Amino acid sequence: MTSTADRLARQQDREQGIGTNENTVKFSQQDYETLREQCLKSGRLFEDNCFPAERTSLGYNDLGPYSSKTRDVVWKRPKELCSNPKFIDNGATRMDICQGALGDCWLLAAIASLTLDQQILARVVPQDQSFTEDYAGIFHFRFWQFGEWVDVVIDDRLPTRDGKLLFVHSAEGSEFWSALLEKAYAKLYGTYEALSGGNTIEGFEDFTGGIAEVYTLDKAPPKLFKIMQKALSLGSLLGCSIDITSAYETEAVTALKLVKGHAYSVTGAEEVNFQGKPVQLVRIRNPWGQVEWTGPWSDESSEWNRVSKEEKSKLNHTAEDGEFWMSYSDFIKHFSKLEICNLTPDTLISDDVGHWHNHQYEGIWRVGSTAGGCRNFSATFPSNPQYVVRLEDVDDNPLDGKDGCTFLIGLMQKDGRRQKRLDRNLETIGFAIYEVPDQYKGQSNVRLGPDVLLRQKAVAMSSSFINTREVCDRFKLPPGEYVIVPSTFQPHKNASFLLRVFSEKQAAASPLEEQIANRMKQKEASEKDVDPQFKTFFKQIAGNDMEVSVFELVEMLNKVVAQRSDIKTDGFSLETGRLIVSLLDVSSLRKKLSSHSLCFKTLL
Amino acid sequence: QFVPSEPPPPRRPVQYAEQNESNEEKQFRRVFQQLAGDDMEVSPAELMNILNRIITKHGDLKTDGFSIESCRSMVAVMDSDSTGKLGFHEFKHLWDNIKKWQASTAAPCQLSYTSALHSYCTMGVYKTCDTDCSGYIGANELPNAFRAAGFPLNDQLFNMIIRRYSDENGNLDFDNYIGCLVRLDAMCRAFQTLDKDGNGTIKVNVQEWLQLTMYS
Repeated sequence: MTSTADRLARQQDREQGIGTNENTVKFSQQDYETLREQCLKSGRLFEDNCFPAERTSLGYNDLGPYSSKTRDVVWKRPKELCSNPKFIDNGATRMDICQGALGDCWLLAAIASLTLDQQILARVVPQDQSFTEDYAGIFHFRFWQFGEWVDVVIDDRLPTRDGKLLFVHSAEGSEFWSALLEKAYAKLYGTYEALSGGNTIEGFEDFTGGIAEVYTLDKAPPKLFKIMQKALSLGSLLGCSIDITSAYETEAVTALKLVKGHAYSVTGAEEVNFQGKPVQLVRIRNPWGQVEWTGPWSDESSEWNRVSKEEKSKLNHTAEDGEFWMSYSDFIKHFSKLEICNLTPDTLISDDVGHWHNHQYEGIWRVGSTAGGCRNFSATFPSNPQYVVRLEDVDDNPLDGKDGCTFLIGLMQKDGRRQKRLDRNLETIGFAIYEVPDQYKGQSNVRLGPDVLLRQKAVAMSSSFINTREVCDRFKLPPGEYVIVPSTFQPHKNASFLLRVFSEKQAAASPLEEQIANRMKQKEASEKDVDPQFKTFFKQIAGNDMEVSVFELVEMLNKVVAQRSDIKTDGFSLETGRLIVSLLDVSSLRKKLSSHSLCFKTLL
Repeated sequence: QFVPSEPPPPRRPVQYAEQNESNEEKQFRRVFQQLAGDDMEVSPAELMNILNRIITKHGDLKTDGFSIESCRSMVAVMDSDSTGKLGFHEFKHLWDNIKKWQASTAAPCQLSYTSALHSYCTMGVYKTCDTDCSGYIGANELPNAFRAAGFPLNDQLFNMIIRRYSDENGNLDFDNYIGCLVRLDAMCRAFQTLDKDGNGTIKVNVQEWLQLTMYS
């Protein structure tokens, strides 16, 4: 019951708009304004006991209390580190992010991409914070967490060693927004160490509420460069990386100075005239703020001498800042993966075309009810949750020239990173899409049963069932009505998920639930319906008072079921008897024969 | 009018929970791990086992033991993540309540499961309110017992509770007393959760009503 009440209350919150970027959920119920006010009044700097400046906030294993990596760590406020700290100096730029001793390059690459759009950045990093005006040692940031925006408050004590920040820091060392952002994100997930290892898309999504797509570059679609350009112009966030085949390769540097198993951000895609021919170039940034590609089109390569001065000065920036150009053909040859985070309309403020429409649903898989597993498990598969999506309008200007409705489906499992320290692995998840049979079209309150789910072939599936936080795929289907069935691969796995549907054109979507008839049929019974045999039986058990107590009821019910070999039961317990009596008890204290007999008739 | 106990703390990252635990809680967590087994969740059957093992050590308590049905009900009303079992925080909340509802003062008799739980379980409200030392809470003792447990209800509700939970003589034995309070506490908390503006009314449709009441 507690869970149902919580779910209903959340639903009500949502309806009232709580959880949007403007009206955030307060993490751990800490309210920034209230806490800051209190600190200013009492004249003390904020100390967050919810994420204390102690070793335990650093980590549990590699960064755990007994690790050499956390030895001599001192927590200091920026004012103790430099004389004139700035929250943001000269605008937040991608140069403010240099990785520290934590394997969270994926996060930093995401933050770097984030700085390319000041509006998106301002949603995550509220801009009116500083070390001067009303400074109280308290800061706050906003992250998207499984469908809702969460406001996270921190104090500004940062882990340092030898007077230097242990983790992310700005190149100049006096700008602190990035280090504080990292701390807030670490608080969200419990520890700094919980952030180590991840995909850039995870960060992208948590900063924007967008939905991410992954392209494998050795199978790059022919229009990928155009897709990248369009995505950059739409304010989408892009990241790329080189896969590794073993842990030994982590952060190995290739001959041309590319780092394997490391998250880069893509910050530009341009075409230049090279000796009269157009060449496609991609700008990439290493979040370390150094180690740049040394191949063709790198900072000081000879190729730049053969483009016009104008173009060169516009694009080429020679500095050891981690950012470099390379040709698109080299890009898809050397990198293995490109991640694009598509944004929701509420993120994008401009009125450009190409906004996605989105719907999102929370759901759970639970052993014994909805943890059905994938189609391989036909006995349980139909018990999974179902969601219907209606596609009505076909895309404008389809890229491949064919009519259809383009949509993205993202299935995200919750709480994986938080449970990392418990050695809990992510579940293997995916989904299938079925066409709604004609007879059910237009109804929102039918569930597809085994007759449809097991006999019909799915019209589309997630590209794989995989153990990542999110499985996301792009589909193009003719207009119509479809049912999405999200599931874990194996049945009987408990997990919670968020299902999101992004469509190019407006689409309707809803969860599929059979409606409950709220008028159950009542059978009327009167004295004369009661057969005489029953009356005698009743008298026998009820005794002289003509009332059946709980104890008599249980005794009687057990006598009845004992004679029936076709009913499986371990007998009625006293507790069950109490429930029956309390629910059927119509008169204030005890009950009358007729009502009672009616009840027995229903029961037996 | 209702003063239900504090709800369990909001779900925080496990890491946070562990690092901020007092020694007592840490000890309790170790015991919980033993009780709950590998899945770290307590099922109704496990709960019945635990509770019955505790009460058998207390001959002066009148009870016919916790039934599986009442344990199912306790798990259902307290289950906050729809697993059908109690996790650590849910179980601890239940345990703290049981402790509170009978915890305290004069009575020398102590409920204990292991030495770690020892400190948790001292007989209190139940024993002190059992004024005639019958081992039961009688109909006339009930209002005081519930008030002491933090539920100042009115006569109408007390009468209903007696009708629902008492034996033929109008007495509440120990398992029924606990089962009733667990339910009352959870019901009040669920109401509070849904009564956002605190105006004392909530609105639910039939689907929601059934989801709330049938899993309780």
